[in-house]
Amino acid sequence: MSIEIKMAWRNIWRNSRRSVLTILAIVFATMLLVFMLSFQFGSYDTMINTAVKIHTGHVQVQAEGYRDKMDIRLVVPDPAAVDDVIKDIPGVEAYTARTNAFSLVSSSNRTYGVLLTGIDPEREPRVSTLKKLVRRGKYLAQKDTNMALVGELLAGNLKVDIGDELVVLGQGRDGSVAASVLKVKGIFSSGEDKFDRNSIQIPLGYFQDVFSMHGAVHEVVVLGRSLEDVKKIKQKLEAGVSSIDNDGNPAVLDWMELMPGLVQSIKLDLVSGLIMYVILIVVIAFSILNTFLMAIFERTREFGVIMAIGMTPGRLMKSLFLESVTITLIGIILGIISGGMVTWYFQGHGILISGASELLNQYGLPERMYPQLSALSVSVGACIVLIITILTAIYPVLKVRHLRPVEAMTAV
Amino acid sequence: MRIKSTIIFWLSVAVFTILSGTLYAMEVETLVRDAVNYYRGNASFSIVDMTIHRPGWERTLTIKAWTRGEKDSMFTIIAPPKDNGNGTLKKGKEMWMFNPRVNRVIKLPPSMMSQSWMGSDFSNNDLAKSDSIIDDYTHKITSTETHDGKKVFVITSMPKPDAPVVWGMQRLRIREDLIFLSQEFYDEDLLLVKAMTGTKIQMIGGKLFPRVWKMQKADKKDEYTMLEYRELLFKENLPGDLFTLSSLKNPGR
Repeated sequence: MSIEIKMAWRNIWRNSRRSVLTILAIVFATMLLVFMLSFQFGSYDTMINTAVKIHTGHVQVQAEGYRDKMDIRLVVPDPAAVDDVIKDIPGVEAYTARTNAFSLVSSSNRTYGVLLTGIDPEREPRVSTLKKLVRRGKYLAQKDTNMALVGELLAGNLKVDIGDELVVLGQGRDGSVAASVLKVKGIFSSGEDKFDRNSIQIPLGYFQDVFSMHGAVHEVVVLGRSLEDVKKIKQKLEAGVSSIDNDGNPAVLDWMELMPGLVQSIKLDLVSGLIMYVILIVVIAFSILNTFLMAIFERTREFGVIMAIGMTPGRLMKSLFLESVTITLIGIILGIISGGMVTWYFQGHGILISGASELLNQYGLPERMYPQLSALSVSVGACIVLIITILTAIYPVLKVRHLRPVEAMTAV
Repeated sequence: MRIKSTIIFWLSVAVFTILSGTLYAMEVETLVRDAVNYYRGNASFSIVDMTIHRPGWERTLTIKAWTRGEKDSMFTIIAPPKDNGNGTLKKGKEMWMFNPRVNRVIKLPPSMMSQSWMGSDFSNNDLAKSDSIIDDYTHKITSTETHDGKKVFVITSMPKPDAPVVWGMQRLRIREDLIFLSQEFYDEDLLLVKAMTGTKIQMIGGKLFPRVWKMQKADKKDEYTMLEYRELLFKENLPGDLFTLSSLKNPGR
């Protein structure tokens, strides 16, 4: 061990109270950053997964332009061919097909414009949470025909309950008038107001009959095993779908393209989080700078003495710098450990955000949030603290360069 | 003396200008009112082919229509067979639709009145041929053209303040024999949204009338809806029990 390291180590513990306080400041900063970042990333994961499971799935195959226009004539004509492509793609958890039509839905005395969706009763639960969201009545069975699942708020608006009749009037794929009488079989509530207020789900086969779809669908919905698989699934799907002989190429869209609003709200939240972290880091940087500066100024006399007995300014700076780096490293390592432990605890138990449930419901979020510990959330915070602390440590060390031994020895 | 006569001269000029101004305004009002009345008649019965054209897709419906005044109208689809019997009844601001397959009547909420009718480029409001253009707008002749040797007035109609209308401006072309040639709809920024033009002016239903009407959105060149009258009869009146829910359900008569 070189003399500089030895000196640095001894100097740290010579004034142990000061060193411990500095270390604690760093520990606290690192811990906070690790936890906050994990919490933020965790809430994004929850947001994305909830939204993906309620609506879009991870990837969808649609007719070109369908997403913008929602025109009933823009169809995927042969969903079975798309299914054949999906079947062979690794990383796919489940897939299903859906159809949509804007229709007038009328109970005995009220009429609303509603998005009517045809779902495959058997395959849908593997892709979406819809089945679990049915709060009253029953989920659709495979051989059901004119049965409907109605959103809770819509059922309230229409004043209907299980077993009541609804008249549907819309336009079929061929432009003909599509009409049907539906029976309410179940009432679902996703917690997301927009979805619960204007959607009705009916069996896919029945939808295709009423709206003259001739076997076509609007969306083939794919759910991947995890978010990381989405990119690969999308690429493979694009390649596979383009080889199907269709009039017009279907588009393959991932969840980011399907829900641009969600991506934007995540970006917005990330930016506001970033501003918070910058403020936090500036405050911590100044407090660390302060202790480092004090540690050097109160030892001016001592530096004068050791320089007088032959220590070069370079070696002195090296020793002082090592002292700061050691303190920083100890702080960061302890911070990562404690931050990781705190995060890990809440990852298992969740954090109950009470009183904000209405706000969270708008985004379809549960009341209990789970932070998500990841290599990224741990390393980003720690790295930022490391860089800032070392930058702060350099300034006081540089001051030593201009010390004159004689003047320094006479300093108070 | 000289001063006095000058004053009298200018006063008379002013009075004349004001008078001719109001006379002129009244003339335009009357012109528009007469044209709307000519177009609508007291009551009418018609059979119309409605063709909805979209890129790569086209569909034709045949519709029987009855209208009475500006408030009551009823439409029943008679072809294609699949849609036979689907009907729409409109009384004032209220509107109902009937489908024979489910044998139910649906009442349309007022918010649906600006929606398209049967997927066409006509909104439910357009079908109503309402008095809105007379009551809610101030008219001004901006230029004249000629059409088949007859004078055509181009009229710019601006909504009156506080009038409950969706358009920022309308532009009408009315021939001197009161035939509507076109009606253009502009938004608040005075950009053209859609235009309805009448062509093939013929003797039909006892008077000269454009046999074909085309409604087209401004920004979509290959999307339009065409109405072609097969039969058109103008009547003095129609029985009131024609415009009822029970008649909507039994359009056979």
